[in-house]
Amino acid sequence: MASNAARHTDVTVIVRAVLGAMRMTLRNFFRKPITVHYPDKERAYPDRYRGLLALVYEPDTGEEACIGCRLCEFVCPPAVIKVEMLKSEKRNYAKTFTLELYACEFCELCVQVCPTDAIVMLKSFDLSTRDRREMLLDKDRLHALGQQHQPSWATGNRLRDMQGPPRMARPASAEATADKPAEAHAKTEGTEA
Amino acid sequence: MTVASTTSRVEVDYAGGERLTMNMGPQHPSAHGVFRAVLTLEGETVVGVDAVIGYLHRCHEKLAETLTYAQYPSIASKTDYVAAMTSEFAYVMAAETIGKIEVPKRAQYLRVIVAELQRVASHLLWLGTWCMDMGGALGGGATIFLYTIRERELILDLFEALVGARLLYGFFQVGGVRYDLPAGWIDACRKTVDFIDGRIDEYERMLEDNPFFMARAQGVGVISRELAEDVGISGPLLRASGVPFDLRRAAPYSSYEDFEFTVPSETAGDCFARYRVRMVEFRQSMAIVRQALDRLPEGTISSRPGLKSVAQIRIPKGETYARVEGARGEVGCYLIADGSAKPYRMKWRGASFSNLAVLPLIIPGHKVADVVAIMGSVDPVFGEVDR
Amino acid sequence: MPAWLTPFIAGFLVLNAVILIVTYMTLLERKFAARMQSRIGPYRVGPHGLLQPIADAVKLMMKEDVVPTAADKPVYNLAPIVFLIPCMLIFATLPFAPGLGVADLNIGILFFLAVSSMEIVGLFMAGWGSNNKYALLSAMRAVNQVISYDLPFIFASLTPVLLAGSLQMSEIAAAQEGLWFVFYPVIGQLAFLAFIVSTVAAENRAPFDILEAESELVAGFRVEYSGMKFALIQFGEYAHILGASFLGALLFFGAWAGPGPEWLGPLWFLLKAMVVFLLVTWVRWSFVRIRVDQILALSWKALMPATLMLLVATAVVVVWRTDGV
Repeated sequence: MASNAARHTDVTVIVRAVLGAMRMTLRNFFRKPITVHYPDKERAYPDRYRGLLALVYEPDTGEEACIGCRLCEFVCPPAVIKVEMLKSEKRNYAKTFTLELYACEFCELCVQVCPTDAIVMLKSFDLSTRDRREMLLDKDRLHALGQQHQPSWATGNRLRDMQGPPRMARPASAEATADKPAEAHAKTEGTEA
Repeated sequence: MTVASTTSRVEVDYAGGERLTMNMGPQHPSAHGVFRAVLTLEGETVVGVDAVIGYLHRCHEKLAETLTYAQYPSIASKTDYVAAMTSEFAYVMAAETIGKIEVPKRAQYLRVIVAELQRVASHLLWLGTWCMDMGGALGGGATIFLYTIRERELILDLFEALVGARLLYGFFQVGGVRYDLPAGWIDACRKTVDFIDGRIDEYERMLEDNPFFMARAQGVGVISRELAEDVGISGPLLRASGVPFDLRRAAPYSSYEDFEFTVPSETAGDCFARYRVRMVEFRQSMAIVRQALDRLPEGTISSRPGLKSVAQIRIPKGETYARVEGARGEVGCYLIADGSAKPYRMKWRGASFSNLAVLPLIIPGHKVADVVAIMGSVDPVFGEVDR
Repeated sequence: MPAWLTPFIAGFLVLNAVILIVTYMTLLERKFAARMQSRIGPYRVGPHGLLQPIADAVKLMMKEDVVPTAADKPVYNLAPIVFLIPCMLIFATLPFAPGLGVADLNIGILFFLAVSSMEIVGLFMAGWGSNNKYALLSAMRAVNQVISYDLPFIFASLTPVLLAGSLQMSEIAAAQEGLWFVFYPVIGQLAFLAFIVSTVAAENRAPFDILEAESELVAGFRVEYSGMKFALIQFGEYAHILGASFLGALLFFGAWAGPGPEWLGPLWFLLKAMVVFLLVTWVRWSFVRIRVDQILALSWKALMPATLMLLVATAVVVVWRTDGV
């Protein structure tokens, strides 16, 4: 456009634009930097943060929550979970449970399908190591991680309940949701918000 | 088309001029990903561009045949990883179209909110990287880059509160969305959108009328209207060349017809016109987000709730092509379903793949320095190009 | 002390002072740029990053000296030194206080301007000897640009010379007794503006740094240098900028003039040079760069005629003033 081209060679326009840009940089000079001094300080991670994966114990009985049903193994897109079921009289367990964290996509699908809220994601991501084999997590390691860090809000039943009207509670999850009515309120608050 | 060898050579052509073959990328600070452009130079002027792609090919389409409808949306984010929400949108929409699955109104509005926020975030990244390409990683370009990334982080914080992840989400699900809004998200979203609105004013003030910026962007990389319509580009490139085509207006999906927004278009077709179109798109996307937040209906967020099993979603036989208006253009997914839990065939139409086709036609005649400016304004993301 | 020893000692002291200042100038630039970009800059190495330049120097000294096989060895190896020498030599004629300097020549400014242009020889040697297309392209652009902008640089520097009536640096500083030349009505400000623009361009700083153009040419003529040779080139660049900042402070801001006792003079000089340097840095971090043909057009079509006319106008004003007096 002729008028536009002429405009930006006009000296007053140039001077004003140049000074305007410099003023913008100077203004940011006096703003507080947004740097978070990690690792001395950490930023606040939201409730639903998808961090490391871990296996948890049932809150009331202290038993392993995982029943070895292998639903997480089947749903995992990069197929990083391998489970072997151990049958027992009252309930099943997982004989071995390996999770290849170095290949994990952190998509949270395994958490979503778990019927007993056994696998959760944590609010911590800090597992850097120099040896990739340390990121092949076995069952003991997964349980240890679950004890070390704070889990995020999302568990299987909560995620499934969020997607539709609350369904008939399953035996394992009934204890979980019955003990914590506050979370149920928070969930409904969320959907109304 | 033969691929020129990587060693450079100087050829003398019949007209007596000297030609230099220079390889730009795949490892290059401003190749926007992994892109190899074999440039033929005469002095400082580019006379030929041979574009080589495929360095990021990860077999998405084959992968989709081995993963079910429940698993693939998380993977779909990785095509256009800068605007992940719109990438997942196309796949999920295709499956829903074949299976005639209704999406609840609240889920549609949530999808719109998230897609428009993603468009703002993607354009912020575009502005930062384009200015950095033109201005240098140590210099004024980096300043604008850090500012826009600072604002983009705010949007990513919103997504993190909603989904748990910052870049690749897995938010969409066949039948609706996976996550509902947490408490306080709407207010946070409104505050963020207002804040970013103010900051975009600042960027406009830094760049408009700026003689250095205008000299780099005006008249550079002109795509004429005929060329734009012939080659099949879409998105901001098309709208900057005088064709006001926007899928959200032309073929509305997911309740876009409920919202009022203007479709920006410019006629000049140069880098500056593309810049103007995207700047207006910022404002329009934020307007859509505000309207959607105001009118967000109650209800469920998925018509196939409670995903519990990997093969839970089965789509009957059929095929369709679903398109969404992504940040870079038309993102399309052609899906052939065969009644099982996995698609028979899935093809991505990557917006950047079609947009890149215009490069060998508009770059010749410009200087080497303009190549980066033009590539930046075309805004390719190579996850979409190579899939 | 024998009289012939004094210049050696003075030179030694000045060079060491320059090395120290240049090292910490890089840190100043990084912190300043960081604050303009909403971040902090070097922070963890030493308190608030104060040991960062030392860490960088140690790192560069420890790096392997990689020499490309096909490089033109003598040219490649000599280039950093040939680049560095003029950049250090310009400090010879700068007086840091009345009577305190290495050699206060009566053609001081002429020496400064002439020697500072010689760095392009080393620059081109670096680009040529690297046997790298990118380096050569960048070196050719650099020679083009520096030569084009040296002329406005010289004319802008000559304006205060006309106002002071002498080429000797200490006399120019002394002539600013009552009024710093930057405050001289109209002519002073225009000359300062031209000086800043041509300094930024002649030193290949953004927005005129097309020769580095990290996003296109990946470090330009320095691309094949690593380790200590790279450090020498960096050092030469920053020393040149420092020298030009000192020149700006001397020509326009009255050098060592400032409140307080006389021995504070060099400190004021340094402070003013840092102000000029920060101004150049502020410009650097605010603008995108323009293409090489646009840079050259700006120089030959706009800046050169403007500074030439400014020089003629200054001459007219000076003659008119002295006639009036």
